[in-house]
Amino acid sequence: MMAASPANRRPSFVSSVLRIFDLSLSEMLWSRRSVFLALLVGGPILLAVVSRVVWMFGPNESLRINGGAVSGASIFGLMIWLLYVRFIVPILGVFYGTSLIADEVEDRTITYLFTRPIQRGAVLVGKYLAYLACTVLLILPSVMVVFFLMVPVGGGSIAQMFPSLLADLGMLAAGLAAYGAVFAWVGARVKRPLVAGLVFVLGWEPAVLLFPGYLKRATVAYYLQGLVPHAMPQDSTMSLLLQTFADMPGILPSLVVLVVLTAGALWFAARTVASREYVLEQ
Amino acid sequence: MSLIAAAQVSKWYGQVIGLNDVTLSVPPGITGLLGPNGAGKSTFMKLVTGQLKPSKGRITVLGEPIWQNPDLYFRIGFCPEQDAFYERMTGLEWVTALVRLNGGSETAAIEAAKRALDLVDLSSAAHKKIGAYSKGMRQRVKMAQALAHEPELLILDEPLSGMDPIARRKTITLIREWGRSGRSVIVSSHILHEIEAMTANILLINQGRILAEGDVHQIRDLIDKHPHTVHIRAEQPRALAREFLASDHVLSLRFEADAVIVQTGKPDLFYAQLTALAASNDLGIIHEVTSPDDNLQAVFQYLVK
Repeated sequence: MMAASPANRRPSFVSSVLRIFDLSLSEMLWSRRSVFLALLVGGPILLAVVSRVVWMFGPNESLRINGGAVSGASIFGLMIWLLYVRFIVPILGVFYGTSLIADEVEDRTITYLFTRPIQRGAVLVGKYLAYLACTVLLILPSVMVVFFLMVPVGGGSIAQMFPSLLADLGMLAAGLAAYGAVFAWVGARVKRPLVAGLVFVLGWEPAVLLFPGYLKRATVAYYLQGLVPHAMPQDSTMSLLLQTFADMPGILPSLVVLVVLTAGALWFAARTVASREYVLEQ
Repeated sequence: MSLIAAAQVSKWYGQVIGLNDVTLSVPPGITGLLGPNGAGKSTFMKLVTGQLKPSKGRITVLGEPIWQNPDLYFRIGFCPEQDAFYERMTGLEWVTALVRLNGGSETAAIEAAKRALDLVDLSSAAHKKIGAYSKGMRQRVKMAQALAHEPELLILDEPLSGMDPIARRKTITLIREWGRSGRSVIVSSHILHEIEAMTANILLINQGRILAEGDVHQIRDLIDKHPHTVHIRAEQPRALAREFLASDHVLSLRFEADAVIVQTGKPDLFYAQLTALAASNDLGIIHEVTSPDDNLQAVFQYLVK
């Protein structure tokens, strides 16, 4: 019948992860979800274009909020925090993270992956890495465009602010990693993971961050803000917002918590996927 | 050694029972799993491929427990029933990507995928996107991914469903050759005629229970007493119907939108005629041939009584 078999040794965990990553990335990138979320990350660009036009044709050299001058760099910092860290990154994490396995189950393609000589955990981790690559590819151009549009407003220097941009990008990547891992676990465990995820990012996190006390430590956003404190606007007009985030953890503790959270959530998610039965609808 | 051994295996989905206290031993070779829709065939297939865990009892495949034993998948190839794919990939990309999950290099995986696509007669469509495949081609590409790594045991869940007569004949030949080469196959269907063309060794399943194991001929005698219904979706259903009307073995005919539904007393003769018609292409393209299991259900009711 056929010639020699293609392989006689099972791939290692890392090799399996990379093969699943390969298989999943383009599927994820060109999915309807990515098209929809690309529109979402286009929102800040639109806002930046409007601000830039207002600045170019406005009477003042800098933008003014409540009569006070605000630099473009400050507005960029505010956008990073309010739009990306507090909204876009968690939303991306929820939509992709909860669907890492759920999509395959819903499309009934999971059978092909779970009847191969690889560990089920490798399937989850490979798809998680594909999620990270896909979301970074979505978010990176948006942040770059917003940066180049906003920072020169009010005479800011792009060269001077570039290290801060790199720090912001690092923070966003850490946010995508942490939210993705948490919601991958939620997706593996919970029946309606999307609802649970949206309640967490749009209900729990914003509510808890407004109150003083220890509860905010049960959010991802709290540790993300600890990574890049200078991303916050420093203008007096924004002092009210600053009050809200006055209590911030240090960079090292934030980093440690985020790494532990990401690794822990991924490990639990992989364990759950390995031991769970997936009954496909006929 | 038995290929598959099940000891008092039951599977529940909440309150619904999928498989009920099944004890059996499947010998090497080709075995047909025959039963009407909803009989428990897919549940059995999912249990023997380790997708589900038995609620009760123990199941071993090739001498080892299959649940949470990924190493066994080296020796097993599975073609599931569901029509599910990564639609944007080409047939070759998809089969290659799945073979790569078995280990080995990219080059070896591509070669294995090409050989498998050639075996199922899909070489010419290897670079076409799966989304553009016909139902029969989709069935065949599923077969290709199951056999590309040359498993000892091939498990096929309704592999002929939706195939045109020529593809059916080729697939049946392929399965028989696979068996003749010393490998084993478990193939499910709700059509006795299909199973019979592949093997004489069957497992009869209904309502989650194995009703009979063994020779197909006894069942065959029973089923011949009941008319066999065949649903044919074709380019020219009326022209096909005219051809069938001239045959003694056709008992009745009726039409649906682009299909003709035939009742025959002699399925063997009927399928031979249909295959010849499809091969000649004189009466247009035959898109799909399916068979509802009403007649099989009648036999099961008889057996249960």
